[in-house]
Amino acid sequence: MKQRLSLMYLSFILIISSRESSSSIPSNSFIGIPPQDEDYFKREIIKCKNGSKKFTKAQLNDDFCDCPDGTDEPGTSACPLGKFYCKNIGHAPSFLYSSRVNDGICDCCDGSDEYDGKVKCPYTCHEAGKVAMESLKRKIEVYQEGVILRNVEIGLAKRAIARDKAELSRLKNEREVVEKNICWMSFLFHRLRWQVRKLEQEPQEKDDKRNEKVENEESGPDKNVDRQIEPMKASDVEKQGKAGESPSDQNEKDKHESSEGLSREELGRLVESRWTGKKMKNDQLNKHIQMNQEEGGPDAGYEESVVDNAGRSSTAQYKIGVQDLKNSSDITTPSGKSWLDKIQETAQNFLQSVNLFSIPVVNLDANKIRKEYNHYTAKLSDLESRISSLTEKLKFDFGKQNKFYLFYDRCFELKQDKYVYKVCPFRNATQEDGRSKTQLG
Amino acid sequence: MKMKQVAFLFLIFLASQTVYSWKKDEFRACDQTPFCKRARFRKPGACTLIAHDVSISDGDLTAKLIPKAPHDQDQDQIKPLTLSVSVYQDGIMRLKIDEDPSLDPRKKRFQVADVVISEFETKKLWLQSASTEKINGDDGGLSSVVYLSDGYEAVLRHDPFEVYVREKAGNRRVVSLNSHGLFDFEQLRVKKEDEDWEERFRGHTDTRPYGPQSISFDVSFYGSDFVYGIPEHASSFALKPTRGPGVEESEPFRLFNLDVFEYHHESPFGIYGSIPFMVSHGKSGQSSGFFWLNAAEMQIDVLAKGWDAEGGILMPTEQSRIDTFWMSEAGIVDTFFFAGPGPKDVVKQYVSVTGLPAMPQLFSTGYHQCRWNYRDEEDVENVDSKFDEHDIPYDVLWLDIEHTDGKRYFTWDKMLFPHPEEMQRKLAAKGRRMVTIVDPHIKRDESFHLHKDASQRGYYIKDATGKDYDGWCWPGSSSYPDMLNPEIRSWWAEKFSYDNYVGSTPSLYIWNDMNEPSVFNGPEVTMPRDALHLGGVEHRELHNAYGYYFHMATAEGLLKRGDGKDRPFVLSRAFFAGSQRYGAVWTGDNSADWDHLRVSVPMVLTLGLTGMTFSGADVGGFFGNPEPELLVRWYQLGAYYPFFRGHAHHDTKRREPWLFGERNTALMRDAIRIRYTLLPYFYTLFREANVSGVPVVRPLWMEFPSDEAAFSNDEAFMVGNSLLVQGIYTARAKHASVYLPGKESWYDLRTGTAYKGGKVHKLEVSEESIPAFQRAGTIVPRKDRFRRSSTQMVHDPYTLVIALNSSQAAEGELYVDDGKSYDFKHGAYIHRRFVFSNGHLTSSPVGNSRFSSDCIIERVILLGFTPGAKTALVEPGNQKAEIELGPLRFGGQHAAVAVTIRKPGVRVAEDWKIKIL
Repeated sequence: MKQRLSLMYLSFILIISSRESSSSIPSNSFIGIPPQDEDYFKREIIKCKNGSKKFTKAQLNDDFCDCPDGTDEPGTSACPLGKFYCKNIGHAPSFLYSSRVNDGICDCCDGSDEYDGKVKCPYTCHEAGKVAMESLKRKIEVYQEGVILRNVEIGLAKRAIARDKAELSRLKNEREVVEKNICWMSFLFHRLRWQVRKLEQEPQEKDDKRNEKVENEESGPDKNVDRQIEPMKASDVEKQGKAGESPSDQNEKDKHESSEGLSREELGRLVESRWTGKKMKNDQLNKHIQMNQEEGGPDAGYEESVVDNAGRSSTAQYKIGVQDLKNSSDITTPSGKSWLDKIQETAQNFLQSVNLFSIPVVNLDANKIRKEYNHYTAKLSDLESRISSLTEKLKFDFGKQNKFYLFYDRCFELKQDKYVYKVCPFRNATQEDGRSKTQLG
Repeated sequence: MKMKQVAFLFLIFLASQTVYSWKKDEFRACDQTPFCKRARFRKPGACTLIAHDVSISDGDLTAKLIPKAPHDQDQDQIKPLTLSVSVYQDGIMRLKIDEDPSLDPRKKRFQVADVVISEFETKKLWLQSASTEKINGDDGGLSSVVYLSDGYEAVLRHDPFEVYVREKAGNRRVVSLNSHGLFDFEQLRVKKEDEDWEERFRGHTDTRPYGPQSISFDVSFYGSDFVYGIPEHASSFALKPTRGPGVEESEPFRLFNLDVFEYHHESPFGIYGSIPFMVSHGKSGQSSGFFWLNAAEMQIDVLAKGWDAEGGILMPTEQSRIDTFWMSEAGIVDTFFFAGPGPKDVVKQYVSVTGLPAMPQLFSTGYHQCRWNYRDEEDVENVDSKFDEHDIPYDVLWLDIEHTDGKRYFTWDKMLFPHPEEMQRKLAAKGRRMVTIVDPHIKRDESFHLHKDASQRGYYIKDATGKDYDGWCWPGSSSYPDMLNPEIRSWWAEKFSYDNYVGSTPSLYIWNDMNEPSVFNGPEVTMPRDALHLGGVEHRELHNAYGYYFHMATAEGLLKRGDGKDRPFVLSRAFFAGSQRYGAVWTGDNSADWDHLRVSVPMVLTLGLTGMTFSGADVGGFFGNPEPELLVRWYQLGAYYPFFRGHAHHDTKRREPWLFGERNTALMRDAIRIRYTLLPYFYTLFREANVSGVPVVRPLWMEFPSDEAAFSNDEAFMVGNSLLVQGIYTARAKHASVYLPGKESWYDLRTGTAYKGGKVHKLEVSEESIPAFQRAGTIVPRKDRFRRSSTQMVHDPYTLVIALNSSQAAEGELYVDDGKSYDFKHGAYIHRRFVFSNGHLTSSPVGNSRFSSDCIIERVILLGFTPGAKTALVEPGNQKAEIELGPLRFGGQHAAVAVTIRKPGVRVAEDWKIKIL
């Protein structure tokens, strides 16, 4: 009987202890609640914050999720959407996901998230607070230094902008002068020409056609444009004719098909490159591929001809053409007409008036005029490019008070492990590792 | 101009072609493979071998196979072959045919070692006698019949020779070999003067010093409507006919382990692994199986009905039948016939030969985060902390090849990973693990200790001339240890000790990639067939098992490292029959498109059916950038793969779950959390697989064997016997047609809504989830608290979800152990059976368990239960527990829809009863 009793007693204890050990009900039912919310939970019947349900005081932190939003379990892991508040005295308070409560990992510096006795968390808030404070101090210092630096930059930027603007307007004025000079030179030049011709052709009848031809010869730029268009067409035709001369990327892939004849290493690299996406640097391999392209067939060849717009010899002319066009478009004034056109126009006008009134010209040295003319045109184009780059520069957004104005022409480099990162503000960013360079966008 | 347009269109065409940059031409088709081409030319009835000297010896039924009328012109083929039929417990017949060793063949043909487990031999039934019968329809020829199991017999017909298993009752055939007389065995012989044995393919020459040695034969499955198995292919689950009427592009299923760049989602071509095991299933609800233990290249035709219209061979017609044709380049006939009769029986029979799937560690059943490559320690720390920041659980962070010093495995890039141990310890402090990659190619660099050691010891595979084979892989010039050799395997295993693998810690596990083996400059991106292994075995003879031996050696290494106490985790890409004993596999380098998402299901199902249950596909697709919608759908599906890992190629954009906006983060988090809530269920299923071979993820017909509508369904699958899941495989899907098998209802996992079984339901689909249901009559254990990783869930309480059937009953199981050691083998586990009937839920033990757990059950959810009851009585203790309506799931705003017993508080390790009052 006695034995039985003690057994019962033992099992009773066991049950009690098991119930305690198996659930993680906190001893303080207000655990995990921020102080400002404590009043909310001091009622007999409490609402879930999203209004979906009500729960009793006994259900607060009873390790069973009643509110879908986790209101009733701020201090346990029972509700997935619950948030646990750590007081962290000595440091800043914080909220944790309920998934961190009693998970065996100390998350709060006050250790309050681990109360089921499975781990002992050291109280680290003072240290953490100190560290945080120091890092905050450092941050403030850095910030203050930064502010000074920024002010310096702003001051410098202001001056630089003023300087650049002054420069711009000076350049513009200069341009006007140069343009006028060019006009004048052009006029003189044409007149001289006209006079010379007149002298030469006196015996003959006046010939309008001829006149036109001269005009054509002199109106260089227009003619140039025509010439540039022609080679473009020619090279197009040429390209289609010269099918399959140089391999394109597209083709390189397909040429994996015919890998026979590669050395074993080349074949290994070739197949590897499919996964790595790295282009093979080995020129020899390209050659091999080309040589082995027996099965390519007419179709493959044709495809090449189309893809090949960066071909080498056949398209050289085309490239130059493009370059020239670009240059001429660079120096286009906002009015839409090129400055040369303008000069031409004025010159024509003058010429006509000269024709009409036949003003005699004395002592004009044609060569000298041509020299002068060339000098001024060169100067003008230089001016134009400086103006346009300055205008471009001034168009950028350099941030508040133009504090980044001086970064325009600067680059910053950072070496990390094997990579060198180079950032040129307003331009590009790259990653280099000695062998290759990657644009970082 | 017109020309230009045409050219442009052509260019677009080409570009679209390169999307599928699978290089079909780089791999040998059957008609470029002489043995396959030859075999396919054979006509039914071509085999004239007959069984002579049939007798019982050493407990086997043995015979000699000789040609009926010796062909004078072909003297080589007249040596008799030896045949033996052995019988094993549980309905397994083994048939072996080889050259007679007493007749001094030119070379011993390779017999795959270390695949059949040693316990299998103990199950052998020693035959005492055979009866001789004249079987109707066999033209009066004789057959020898032996006992196979209760209800089954093994039969050897003598002339022409044929071997089959039949049901005793009614003499119904189950599986047969050589019924169509296609058997052919090319015996090793001396080369004739005018012969050229070399084979050339795309610049590679195979010297073939032993000449033709292939084997082929037909196998028929009776009472069968579909055949399945023989991974690994990206194709439908039910195998489509490859030859015969109605087959347009005739190409057999190929089993040849290859590293196929951007494999196509619908193709019979072989990819990373091979398991020559086929399962059949038919209307009768019965299954049977056939396994050919042979590691040489194999090609298998599934023959369409009417393929033999002109064959003139009479076959029993009363049974529906599927004929198949098996061809192998080398080796011997070592085949296993599995009588079934149920699908689960066939799987059990197969694993009794090749071994049970290893019990994984709990952590490895969680979510794995991988990428080629997490750059450096800072990157690792960042990714790790982002999971915490977004409250997304995960268990393992993976490092691909770039973590090494120049692709020398077992080393670390000192710049990028200067403190590997500290890095692992930081992860381990959160209960997380790390996995690093270790591939079989060893950099040929004299300063690399591993290479120096291996080359000095002569441990590398040799080329045909006997020098160390030198191939090209990630590190450049590389050699490959000969893993066929047990001595070399133990040498390799030693490399994983903490001393040898500098920078490794107990929380580090291993990933074996490229073990087909992948050789970038080899024929078909693999090793030449004339390379030489231990004892002069040619690579052609064991090619498909190389990855298996490598996987085995690595797993043994981890086992040794942990003094045999820590279960290894090794993921392998290549596999063979038996790989299930060593770890997990995944489906290799798939692509980020919907087709690959879809084909992952038949691929995982096929692997499970053939023993490899711990498998999955790369979530998100390895190549290419998935649209966020595809990625979300992939997480939703991948959460139910047995192996759940996100992985990506290094040219793809970062795709960790938090990078696609808040909504998508929430969806992916939800998908991953579903996996974590179901971990107790998954772990129980892994244990089921570990004791029975029945896979974690299974085809519908494995649970509903007589439901014909389920036979070719590979869009949906079962997780265990309780859950049915169907992926969403198209963009912006609004509806899905889901077939729910059986007579009982199914409950939507999210809403609890009941759907009738035996019907196709057209369901509305939201972005929130893919269709998933719990089958009425089942109980699923869950843990509904979210943690950082599975490690922190150990003490969390359980939820039981009871889905009641029409008689208000249900049952289910829960298996728990320490999640990492082998103590469970000595009884340190909890295995409970939960039964609900008559309003009572009882928990009772399965087997003797000696493991303690402080876990309680915090909640019991009843689906299909009429609400009304307010309290439940918990025994022992006669405590009362409240009943109320609660949500079915947590972690979102889910409505209170399910009858819930609140806080019954019972311990999971104990017996108890909960009565609803």
